[in-house]
Amino acid sequence: MSQFLNLLAAGLTSGAIYGIFGACLAVWFRVCNVLNLAVGDFAMLGAIGTAELVQLDHFPFVAGIAVDLLAVGIVAWLFDRLVLHFAFDRRAGGHGIVSVFFYTFGLSLVIEGGARALFGTDVHSAPAIWSGPALTFADLHVQRAGVLVIALAVVSGLVLWAYLHFTVSGRAASACGESVLGSRIVGIDSALFRRRIFVMTAVLAALFGIVESPLTGFTYQSGPTISLIGVVAAGFAAFRRPGRAVVVGLVLGIAEAMLGGYVSTEYNDVLLYAILFVILIVQPEILGLGAVPA
Amino acid sequence: MAAAAAAVRGPDPGSVALEVEGVSVSYGQFVAVESATFSVGAGECVAVIGPNGHGKSSMVTAIAGLVRRGGTVRVFGTTLPVGEPRAAVRAGLVLVPERRHLYPQLTTRDNIMLGGYSRTRRVWAHQAWAEVASVLDMFPELAPLLDQKAGTLSGGQQQMVALARGMAARPKILMLDEPCLGLAEAVTHRVYDWLGAMAATDMTIVLVEENPVHALRVCHRAVRMYRGLVEQAEREPESERPAAELP
Repeated sequence: MSQFLNLLAAGLTSGAIYGIFGACLAVWFRVCNVLNLAVGDFAMLGAIGTAELVQLDHFPFVAGIAVDLLAVGIVAWLFDRLVLHFAFDRRAGGHGIVSVFFYTFGLSLVIEGGARALFGTDVHSAPAIWSGPALTFADLHVQRAGVLVIALAVVSGLVLWAYLHFTVSGRAASACGESVLGSRIVGIDSALFRRRIFVMTAVLAALFGIVESPLTGFTYQSGPTISLIGVVAAGFAAFRRPGRAVVVGLVLGIAEAMLGGYVSTEYNDVLLYAILFVILIVQPEILGLGAVPA
Repeated sequence: MAAAAAAVRGPDPGSVALEVEGVSVSYGQFVAVESATFSVGAGECVAVIGPNGHGKSSMVTAIAGLVRRGGTVRVFGTTLPVGEPRAAVRAGLVLVPERRHLYPQLTTRDNIMLGGYSRTRRVWAHQAWAEVASVLDMFPELAPLLDQKAGTLSGGQQQMVALARGMAARPKILMLDEPCLGLAEAVTHRVYDWLGAMAATDMTIVLVEENPVHALRVCHRAVRMYRGLVEQAEREPESERPAAELP
């Protein structure tokens, strides 16, 4: 029983990581029908950037987090203004499948290269926000950072779900993804929504990277792996439902932990990729490869 | 409701609602609209007629700020900036576009509610809906469909949603681009009945319609477009003059 509970806790923790990145992908895809394949790189920038600011540059911890999140927000804003604005608002770039992933894939490569030059190839971890020994309940042991990871994922998923379902702004954001022309004729600024949500999800991913990094550590190459698991979680949520992405992420994490605990950890990646293949074969449209709403 | 009443009452009779001066639209080398100039008086219902592909839709989408254009557009004397549809909506100029452009995964309620997006400025969706729900008085057939996704509605129902979304903005000038394209005859009659009722109020209406027989049933006069150029036409009942003879 204790093994099951500890596997469950580990699964919830890793599942929360899947879920939050899936939610970040889903909410932005819902607004502009583009996959943010750089979401993991923003998490990496959050974790490594904060670690550098606090441990090497001796910033106070909170100030280090604030400066790092601000920097990530500026990077995201600049990318939108300098690339996405011209690609989508001015119709200067390629469209269709190219726009679905090419631009953010390029951003991922740029961030990865920049991070290697700035931070090197070592593993980095931001200081723990809630430090101390693991929490123990009978035979159940949970890392404090793991509790924060789960809490942040659940709260973020709930906030995004409530935003999209109960606010005019959330409805307007959804309308942008449904029909750009239809949103513009009622006065919705689809470019502004795309920019706001992109910057918001970049900062959220960076914050999550900071919270998560004491558990997993980050290198400059961590981004694409994180983005991929986010794609899987978001894919199960039809790429448009961030709340469901968090739930799916948690389920995936638990399934992965149970498989690893009772069968073999070697099957973890196999499970993730098998699920991805199933999506591609059974429902490719949820990966942006099918029909896009008019 | 006060604003809705104002929309129906309209501005001073005799004033100019919409002024279009030298508007041109190009797609690369192709000139879709060439120096279009016309005006619409307050409370007038004007049809824009002409064959397919001669620039009618390009002109109204340009007037609404949805495509880049040359020339000047004024709404009740206020010049609209180029390429800013929000400014047009805020000035009271609302377009119901060809093929509707609804949000198929959102409900009928959300589609209509977002019509008032520029006006209501509410945080919560239920508050914004409360401010626009009165449009259902004009489209009672939509009441049972409010929680249904717009993409699952019939073509006629979707057209009603598009009209209701337009009216939710409480327009001073309503532009409709081919509102009956692809619709069944019964639905076309329903749309034109509604348009006739609106034309009888002081609302200013610009109706793009390929079929002049339909258009002149409700409009006071017509503007004809041919090869991107605008010509004027006075109203003549279709029974007295075949549509093909319109200038």
